[in-house]
Amino acid sequence: MEPIQDDIRWSREEVLNTIDTNLVIWLNGLSGNVKIFDDLMRLIASDYLMPLFFSLSMFALWYSGRTPPERARYQLASVMGASAIGLSNVAVWLINISWDRSRPFVDHGDQLNLLFYPPTDPSFPANPVAVGFAAAAAIWTVNRKLAWWLIAAATIYGFSRLYAGVFYPTDVIGGAIVGVAVFGFTSYLRRFLEPLVTSFIRLMRGLSAA
Amino acid sequence: MTTDPMVVRDVFVSHYFLLAFLTSLGTLQISVTISGARGLWLTPHRTVTRWLGIGLIVAGVLIFYGQPLWIEGPWAEGSVEANSATLAWGQSSWSELSGARNVNDIHGGLDGRTQAIWFPLAAVLAIVTSAVVGSLSLRITKSAELDPGESDPVDDSSDGIAGLSNRSYFSNLPVSWRNFRAEIAGLWTSGLEAADRWSLFRMIFGGAGRKS
Repeated sequence: MEPIQDDIRWSREEVLNTIDTNLVIWLNGLSGNVKIFDDLMRLIASDYLMPLFFSLSMFALWYSGRTPPERARYQLASVMGASAIGLSNVAVWLINISWDRSRPFVDHGDQLNLLFYPPTDPSFPANPVAVGFAAAAAIWTVNRKLAWWLIAAATIYGFSRLYAGVFYPTDVIGGAIVGVAVFGFTSYLRRFLEPLVTSFIRLMRGLSAA
Repeated sequence: MTTDPMVVRDVFVSHYFLLAFLTSLGTLQISVTISGARGLWLTPHRTVTRWLGIGLIVAGVLIFYGQPLWIEGPWAEGSVEANSATLAWGQSSWSELSGARNVNDIHGGLDGRTQAIWFPLAAVLAIVTSAVVGSLSLRITKSAELDPGESDPVDDSSDGIAGLSNRSYFSNLPVSWRNFRAEIAGLWTSGLEAADRWSLFRMIFGGAGRKS
């Protein structure tokens, strides 16, 4: 019985990998047809544009509260979001240590049109997407409308990297899950560190910066 | 031509810092017009300040992604298709501009850690700039009549960002610091009492906290 079960398990993994591979090859295959769309995807996939948007969202949240209670909630969410962004990088690094998944262009280079520089770090999970979803999760707790913008931005960022041929779809999904999970962990970490976090925000108010 | 990654990094750091500064300043201006913190407005008028903020963000992004057209760097013709180990030094063409900034961090591009250092520094500089220019702006227009709705009523004892709605940063700072010093001990004690039972500081100091 055991060899048969192993065969089934192996087949399921192979099916998942095949779907993953076929999706990235199909999406990347759309490139090369409309130059302006390829250019747009190159810009969005850049290491600077979307991460800057996520950071600026946290910065804007800190200063945009209209009333003292709203300001306090926004500033707490801003601290949590910035911490979650940092910790999601740590989480991705820890996963990378345990699983060095190769990039799609390494496994299927002959079938892909690479639109981005070839990254040398492991593929799973997608670090940029993890960062985006960690920021979105933090903002979700105080402002759903702004959070939807961040979710959209993180999703488009992930899609652009898929389109460019540097991530598999499961890397992007994994990145989103890691980002949200890390924010959940950060929420508990905040409670573990209270009243230090609240006192930090009060100190910033003492410096006229909160 | 093989480009030294440290030279590439220096170029990226200076360009990224300008991007982060302009966009942070713009974002700050939009945010403080929402919260009404006039002490940080670059101009005396809400609408003008908000549009200036939008303009600064757009300018920051356009300058950063447009710089390869007129500044030499690791983005000369053909670099976009290269694996970034053998980047050609020079100006970018229009056709390769979209990918010009896509340089691997091992070849001089900025990784997340480096951006995490430079972005906060640029944001702090944006706050300082807003505080200085906002103080000058308030001083110049202090006696001038403001448009209706541009001056929010505020309690004189208010501090922090709330206090900035009718004071400059430098007038607001002593009030904020005095209030902070008066409140922090009580805030810490009540924070300990309200904290979860598995709060680290509650475990160390006990639920009632240290009485001051």
